[in-house]
Amino acid sequence: MMSKTKRSILYWIILAPLVIVILFPFAVMFVTAVRPRDELFVYPPTWGFSEFRWENFAEMWVKTNFGGALLNSLYVSITATGAALVLSIPAAYAMSRYRFVGKGLYKNFLLMTQMMSPIVLVLGLFRLMMTLGLVNDLNSLVITYAAFNMAFTIWMLQSYFNSIPRDLEEAAWMDGASHLTSLIRIFLPLAVPAIVVTAIFTFINSWNEFVLALTMMRSAEDFTLPVQIYSQVAGRYQVEWHHVMAGTVLATVPVAIVFSWLQRYLIRGMALGAVK
Amino acid sequence: MSSVTIRGVKKRYGALSVLHGIDLEIRDQEFVVLVGPSGCGKSTLLRMIAGLETVSSGDILIGERIINDVPPKSRDIAMVFQNYALYPHMSVYENMSFSLRLRHLAKDVIDRKVRDAAEILNLGKFLERSPRQLSGGQRQRVAMGRALVRDAEVFLFDEPLSNLDAKLRVVMRTEIKALHQRLKTTSVYVTHDQIEAMTMADRIVVMNAGRIEQIGTPLQLYDTPANLFVADFIGSPSMNVIRGVLGAAAGQTFVELPDGTRLPVPDMASGSIGQKVVFGARPEHWTLATGDAGVAVKVEVVEPTGANIQVFSRLAGTPVCAIFTERHDFKPGQTIRLDVPADKIHLFDAESGVRL
Repeated sequence: MMSKTKRSILYWIILAPLVIVILFPFAVMFVTAVRPRDELFVYPPTWGFSEFRWENFAEMWVKTNFGGALLNSLYVSITATGAALVLSIPAAYAMSRYRFVGKGLYKNFLLMTQMMSPIVLVLGLFRLMMTLGLVNDLNSLVITYAAFNMAFTIWMLQSYFNSIPRDLEEAAWMDGASHLTSLIRIFLPLAVPAIVVTAIFTFINSWNEFVLALTMMRSAEDFTLPVQIYSQVAGRYQVEWHHVMAGTVLATVPVAIVFSWLQRYLIRGMALGAVK
Repeated sequence: MSSVTIRGVKKRYGALSVLHGIDLEIRDQEFVVLVGPSGCGKSTLLRMIAGLETVSSGDILIGERIINDVPPKSRDIAMVFQNYALYPHMSVYENMSFSLRLRHLAKDVIDRKVRDAAEILNLGKFLERSPRQLSGGQRQRVAMGRALVRDAEVFLFDEPLSNLDAKLRVVMRTEIKALHQRLKTTSVYVTHDQIEAMTMADRIVVMNAGRIEQIGTPLQLYDTPANLFVADFIGSPSMNVIRGVLGAAAGQTFVELPDGTRLPVPDMASGSIGQKVVFGARPEHWTLATGDAGVAVKVEVVEPTGANIQVFSRLAGTPVCAIFTERHDFKPGQTIRLDVPADKIHLFDAESGVRL
């Protein structure tokens, strides 16, 4: 028998290559972001730097209109997440609790939409948004992101809803609750873990989405973060890599914060111990 | 408190018919147990009384009011579920007070009612705990408490003890019965366990395949089962049933078994000579006979339980169990003679299963 410490060390050694592969881009990103400009391309490349320049972030913020893009991204991601949830929860509830004609078909349809990459639909979507007069409007992204994520959120929520015993709602009805009351006071509180998980996924998907944002948004002041950062690289004679990397760091941080704050809900299985 | 009347109630799921027309009158303050094998429709009937299943045809009345289309929340019925269905995100106190809070009662009234119920059920110490911190028996009590605080017209129990271990089940059985004797709320209790039914019920409704087989007090069902199904279902170990043909010779009616053995039966039997019948005798009604009386059987297995001994043997190839409270020392292979007093014999028609 190995001691616990020994075993832990062994496991970490086995995990190390994976950790390195995952962390390497982040390390490059971070190191580049805080370097002075003239140390960007030294040969041979080093991890070190002569000066830790926080100023890169401030310069980048002003030069690249980072604040505006950040607000755009926040608006799009939060609204899309909200919209997806507001529409998915009733849909998932119906799929989980009611029998209706075409239920199986609908489920398969949802699954099939997941097999298509948004890229193949970009042209069609663009023309649709043209007709709706929504090109160059952030709401076009809200609508498409919400729609693209809903298949996933409905499936995810529905399978979790299935695990919430019907008895609990029935007990609430017997206790004198209406369907709506039991939904709000009994059912939804128990579904919080699933709702949070789906919210995280939708938020991150929307936050990171690039192709649709690049297609729909024509003017620089409407760019979301991924497009804004891309615009600092593409089609330029001179790329300010330290600014690009500073922007990338700042774009990654909010997601990391949201994720670490909400991940406790991932683990909390509230319905455990509900019955039996 | 109120009576519950069920008139010609049927339940269909599409083409599948689950209840074929149930008529039942549950009197005010009565404790009625619906018992039957799984799939007999007893839970469906209970859920129809609760309003959780729709009524396909017929009427359900609480008191004088037809409640077919009244939603569950307006029926003033409390229900204890098989798996308790405690709200996991609420404390015991919140679980028990939920219905009262929904009715917007004053805080101090709610508090008094919850604490009274907790007192009755010995839950005082657990009010602040969450359901998952409780044992099975305690959760069961909370589920009861949730029903108790309501002062509902009718209590419904859907196999509330089936998730408990055997010992706790016996304890809770007695507690529920004592509670009913104290509160006298009209109760309908569903179980598949005939012992639960026998011990708790004022009246038992035996159901099978969507129909009522017999309604009666526990001892009525035990002593005079209306048909073979009830005879077999009620009692443990169950009644010995042996197939044969009714015959008569020299003024004595008897059942002749396939191997020629003749079991004398009293004349009260309303069957006709030559009719195929089933002879029934409860295990504890067999007596040891001496001389030529009774029939000879070979002992196969002897099982002492302490309170009595169970002797297994065969009569015309059919397994027979006899229970004796005396401490006989039978050996396997030994031949003994068994007899049944005439008034303890049950006779059923072999075709219809109806008592003769």
